[in-house]
Amino acid sequence: MTTSPRTTGRISRLLAMLPWVIGNPGCSVDEVCERFGYTQSDLIKDLNTVFVCGLPGYGPGDLMDASFDDDEIVIEMADYFSRPLRLTAPEALGILASGKAVQSAGSGGDALDRAILKLERTLLPEGTESVVVDIPEPQLVGELRIAVLEGRVMQIDHTSIASGTAKIRDIEPWAVFTTLGNWYVSAFCRNANAKRVFRIDRIRTAARTGDRFTPSPTSGDATIRYTPGDDDVHVTIRLSGEATWVAGYYPVDVVDDGPDAMTIQMSVGDAAVAARLLIRLGSNAAVLEGSEAANATADLRSRILEVYSQDT
Amino acid sequence: MQKVIERILNLLAYLLTVERPVTADEIRNTVAGYDRDNDSAFHRTFERDKDLLRRLGIPIEREATDVFEVEFGYVVHDDDYALQDPDLTDEERTALSLAVQAVGFGGRPAGQEALMKLGGVVGSLEGTQLGADLGERADMVADVFNAVSERRLLTFDYRGTTRTVRPYGLVHRRGHWYLVGSGDSVDSTRVYRLDRATALELGNRRDVFDPPVDLDPADEVLHHPWDAGDGADIATVVFDQEVAWIAERELGSRAAISHRSDGSIKAEIEIAAPPAFLGWLVGFEEHAELTAPPELRTRFISYVEGVR
Repeated sequence: MTTSPRTTGRISRLLAMLPWVIGNPGCSVDEVCERFGYTQSDLIKDLNTVFVCGLPGYGPGDLMDASFDDDEIVIEMADYFSRPLRLTAPEALGILASGKAVQSAGSGGDALDRAILKLERTLLPEGTESVVVDIPEPQLVGELRIAVLEGRVMQIDHTSIASGTAKIRDIEPWAVFTTLGNWYVSAFCRNANAKRVFRIDRIRTAARTGDRFTPSPTSGDATIRYTPGDDDVHVTIRLSGEATWVAGYYPVDVVDDGPDAMTIQMSVGDAAVAARLLIRLGSNAAVLEGSEAANATADLRSRILEVYSQDT
Repeated sequence: MQKVIERILNLLAYLLTVERPVTADEIRNTVAGYDRDNDSAFHRTFERDKDLLRRLGIPIEREATDVFEVEFGYVVHDDDYALQDPDLTDEERTALSLAVQAVGFGGRPAGQEALMKLGGVVGSLEGTQLGADLGERADMVADVFNAVSERRLLTFDYRGTTRTVRPYGLVHRRGHWYLVGSGDSVDSTRVYRLDRATALELGNRRDVFDPPVDLDPADEVLHHPWDAGDGADIATVVFDQEVAWIAERELGSRAAISHRSDGSIKAEIEIAAPPAFLGWLVGFEEHAELTAPPELRTRFISYVEGVR
């Protein structure tokens, strides 16, 4: 059995709050609430805990002293809690990598740059930059972010990754985000009359239409998920040799995992996605079921080879 | 819950002031809140408390109570306990708060506990619009971070082999985390993709190596998948006007690109690993043509025909 997450969370916050209040005697209740995310009653509960705890003996001279009146808090007799706890590795990585991601995307400022330098000096050995986060921001991200903030309808010229076809769309951008190395904008697409997520590097141009929309507070869902649809293309593939990496890379069902070969089932929104994958896998993949994907592969193969049928 | 919190504060206060290893029995008889009658109840509670404190980052060590090493006890060394304070200003805390809110690992924010330890969150968190996700495997990346920051050896399985590596740096690029490190000799510096590493273990000792002074981990990790290899071909590819802008964006400044009057582009691209490059080219379907060198063109045709 382990201690409950709620208790753990309370102790964690207490051990962060104590050093700060000890170091800033006379600080206000409001300030401590804001800094450490307390409600006033939770803070008072924790302060009431503090002054019944302390050192063995547990007499008046051994317990910590916490006093608060009207608006001021003072904690005394607690020197041993005056230094903040060191960061664990996940905490240190989390804060440093978050800072560096924002810095790399060009959305930080001088204060962030200074904060990162200070963190690096205390968390990492001296020398060259040993933790690097590189998420360069493509063109249009800035413009789309402004559109999200200001509720501007944008006309975009977008080429679908799946089908390769370009289309002009009017979108109400909800959120701009990056994951797995790509930038996306999630939006309500007025042409499709539905929520869509677009890869920003596949948006050729984005222009304001002049229209405005009212952003909904729940619309900014910054995730991309594969959601199965009725029009999905299903294909069963036998993978051999080096091609088994596919099973770890794409969302697939492994039907059979033998010593020499693996059989997978995958569903894709467009047969062209399967076709490109199958050509890349070459003789290491064989389509067992799924004529649509097999036909799309043959079609793609002949379209590419047609280009190469004349000498340069 | 109230009793648990009081007991843990009392335990920590004791460990931080006693300045020597104390046995479980001493703790049981000294610290308020422990069961003095039931042995197994005490041990269960004590184990749980230790576990909790360790998860919060408190380094409770088990050490001999005297030179004869007959008895062992628990101790918290002040230098390992306390944060080396980076001395942030409130303005800097605000900048970090915004960053922590904008970035996550596997959909969850990371670094909020760190913010608390560094003096809390200051200012309004409204208005941030960047949403960046740095991947699912925060725990594993944190272990590597730990090894880099404490200069410990790392052992892990990678492509079927167990490796022991001196970790010099940690780089996030193109959506993946990479470890830059070397095996036995400094000359063998190479790059490992962390999502392909398993059974990761940290060495017991700190500060067992010095990174090479002229090594910049950011330079070691490649920008394109076909940069990794020993080949040195220059491929010439014509992208038609429909996809030219996509190719140009993906290639960045690392290819020599000339624009043609019909809107197409001709790109000269350095290729170290042909298979990765040919796979990328398939993505452009019939809108790209590899024109030179002739051997690579022939190889692409075979590739599309399915011959490997």
